[in-house]
Amino acid sequence: MFLARRLVLAHFWVAFAAFAAAVALGAWQMYVRSPLSPWIDDPELYYRSVTAHGTVMAYVFPTLVAMGFGYAIVELALKRPLIGLRWAWAGFWLVVVGTLMASVPMAAGRASVLYTFYPPLIASPFYYLGVVLVVVGSWVWVALMGINLRVWKRDHPGATVPLAMFGNVAAAYLWAWTSIGAAAEILVLILPVALGFKDTIDVGLARVLFSWTLHAIVYFWLMPTYLVFYVIVPRAIGGRLYSDTMARVAFVLFLVFSMPIGIHHLFADPEVGGGFKFVHAVFTAMVTVPTLLTIFTIVASAEIAARLRGGKGLVGWVRALPWDNPMMLAVTFSFVMLGFGGAGGIINMSYQLNQTIHNTQWVTGHFHLIFGGAIVIMYFMVAYELWPQLVQGAQLSQRLIKAQLWLWFVGMMVLTVPWHWVGLLGMPRRMAYFDFNDAALHAQAWTVVASAIGGFILLASALLFVGILAGARKTARSAEPFTFSVAVHPGARVLPALNGFAIWVTLMVALTVVNYGFPIAQLVLLEHTSVPAIPIGAR
Amino acid sequence: MGEPGDRKNGKWVSRSILFLAAMSVASLLVGFVLLPGTQGDFSAQGIWASICRAAGVPLRRPAGDAATALATRSTTVLLDRSMQRPADGDAVGRGATLALQCTMCHGARGLSEANAPNLAGQYEEVIVKQLLDFRHGDRQSAIMQALTRNLSERDTTDLAAYYAYLPRPSIAGEPVGDMPALVRVGDPMRNVAPCASCHGGIDHKLGAPWLEGMPREYLGDQLRAFAQGVRTNDSHAQMRNMARSLSAQEIASISAFYAGRTGGPGGR
Repeated sequence: MFLARRLVLAHFWVAFAAFAAAVALGAWQMYVRSPLSPWIDDPELYYRSVTAHGTVMAYVFPTLVAMGFGYAIVELALKRPLIGLRWAWAGFWLVVVGTLMASVPMAAGRASVLYTFYPPLIASPFYYLGVVLVVVGSWVWVALMGINLRVWKRDHPGATVPLAMFGNVAAAYLWAWTSIGAAAEILVLILPVALGFKDTIDVGLARVLFSWTLHAIVYFWLMPTYLVFYVIVPRAIGGRLYSDTMARVAFVLFLVFSMPIGIHHLFADPEVGGGFKFVHAVFTAMVTVPTLLTIFTIVASAEIAARLRGGKGLVGWVRALPWDNPMMLAVTFSFVMLGFGGAGGIINMSYQLNQTIHNTQWVTGHFHLIFGGAIVIMYFMVAYELWPQLVQGAQLSQRLIKAQLWLWFVGMMVLTVPWHWVGLLGMPRRMAYFDFNDAALHAQAWTVVASAIGGFILLASALLFVGILAGARKTARSAEPFTFSVAVHPGARVLPALNGFAIWVTLMVALTVVNYGFPIAQLVLLEHTSVPAIPIGAR
Repeated sequence: MGEPGDRKNGKWVSRSILFLAAMSVASLLVGFVLLPGTQGDFSAQGIWASICRAAGVPLRRPAGDAATALATRSTTVLLDRSMQRPADGDAVGRGATLALQCTMCHGARGLSEANAPNLAGQYEEVIVKQLLDFRHGDRQSAIMQALTRNLSERDTTDLAAYYAYLPRPSIAGEPVGDMPALVRVGDPMRNVAPCASCHGGIDHKLGAPWLEGMPREYLGDQLRAFAQGVRTNDSHAQMRNMARSLSAQEIASISAFYAGRTGGPGGR
């Protein structure tokens, strides 16, 4: 790397420190609502903790990882120094200041609105301003990714954009467009109320705008993971990427389809018509396509690796895979969790099936399995892969890494499988306590104990992760040059449409207008839709 | 770049656009025409009405007759935060004069010796709402309905300003026993929320009075009135739904707890 080493390290350290703290809060939450602990006397403390856990895990941690990884990719894939280093530092500090600004009211109990905001609950304005600063900081990153790609293209006319950079910029553009919903909700609807200029708020419109962000943000979290699948995993396990084109198709499909589908989070909400709910369900189903493409491509790439190592037979090659390699372990765990979580997600997005699990513990189980499991386990691998570059020549213990990955996988399964089960039985999410003395609930108590055990296993894994990174020391020998996966047919010409974003960004915006235009316009124009705001902890 | 490559690229792009357009049209047709068409209540008024309903356009219902509306209405007061802003000194002074006619029951300084509620330090919007509900007939009391009949809007807010300005009582006597579980954590299986999540302690919601030091008889009477549906001016039946499943003993213990509780400044 050239200039960005300290920049990337700074992003990662803030991200991982915040992550470890948020995991600790999560484990405490699991313990305090389980039968192992007496009922919490002040449930507001529980919701305070849930807000902090969600805000860090949804906004701060993945954003910083995507930003840091993105800056690293610019230098590693384009093989030139990052343009706009000072701007990048400015963006980083905006995220840090925003995080601190949001933390103070959260800790003081003035922002217990959960990370989904959900008006008419209104938090301290500093909470929202902090979140806005985090988002603005990430927009600096979006702009820098676009600029670095543009300058590189100008200097290399007609050349194929490296796959890593292509996926990276797709993630940046996806985030730019999807973050507008929540940003508009905060700036136009929430802040005027939080600052005391208004006493009522249009709750329906606020929720629709939030749904604009709420689903696609998941794919923004997912993009670094998919980048690792495509551009690192095949190389790390000694194989080749089965298809470069397939990877690009997957990235542009995410760009087009992940954004205009968020209303499936509002299936139980009255402010959106059933027709639009159906349309959003259809397009949500479309995001399974890039995911299935990815699973196919990566499994095929793994098969190439196995056959190169002498694997034989229809499925016998699986045994020849490098199972002692942490990356092999991580990608396997990730796929298992993605498989269960993805299957659960198809139930969530079905307009009818959703009714059975809406707002139950199933939903919490689903997104912890997908995000906390399948996605975050690959964030760990991003750090482990890049650390020798960031901390010159650092050697990380492969045994400790594997132990950490095992702990994370087991902890996440112990946490989320019982949640899914008990969600089917109807246990609501976001509860500070349950009355397990009641005969109807007594039989479900073990699931909450299991989630507490899972939570502490995850905490152990998170601390081990931070410990492994913190223990890395510089060595005299310089790091081996970083390489990305090579495709089976390297250097094959890429279609111009898959070498840029113009057409896909246009389709993304057009589809958003079709899917969100009418619901938003109608809610803006309807009168008498506002309700009195409910400030948190104001008295 | 060769010609065939360009053609291939063009074909890719146009097919992508066509596919997306076809998919959008098809899903719109299914979601707005086909599926609503299978539902009697959607399709009864023709295809356009059915499409509008699938799009979420609100139905215009004919206005019901006034008598039914009155029979089912709970309150007409809409609470918002502008009602809790501190009033100026004039309002407090006028309110103090007006309050002379309240002293018989509510005490000279807003502390009742007649089992009427204490008003000293009560939140502005609480007093405004109750006075308006009495005046509109949404809360029943032979005395209060007569007394509020001639209050102007300004009289109401001035009275609220005066009582909110008075210091909260520091009541003699120690807090009685431990906080009942219903106050702290409620009873989730009966859908009873903790008292403290609205009336102060955990959180305070707009329109919920502070209760510390209120006469025990008054609190018990009100809980029973809510439980029996005699008092109905709680919007969305919030208090009726809480009180309905409480036993007589639970009502007594909650009332005794709040009656014996010392309310400090700020009520928290």
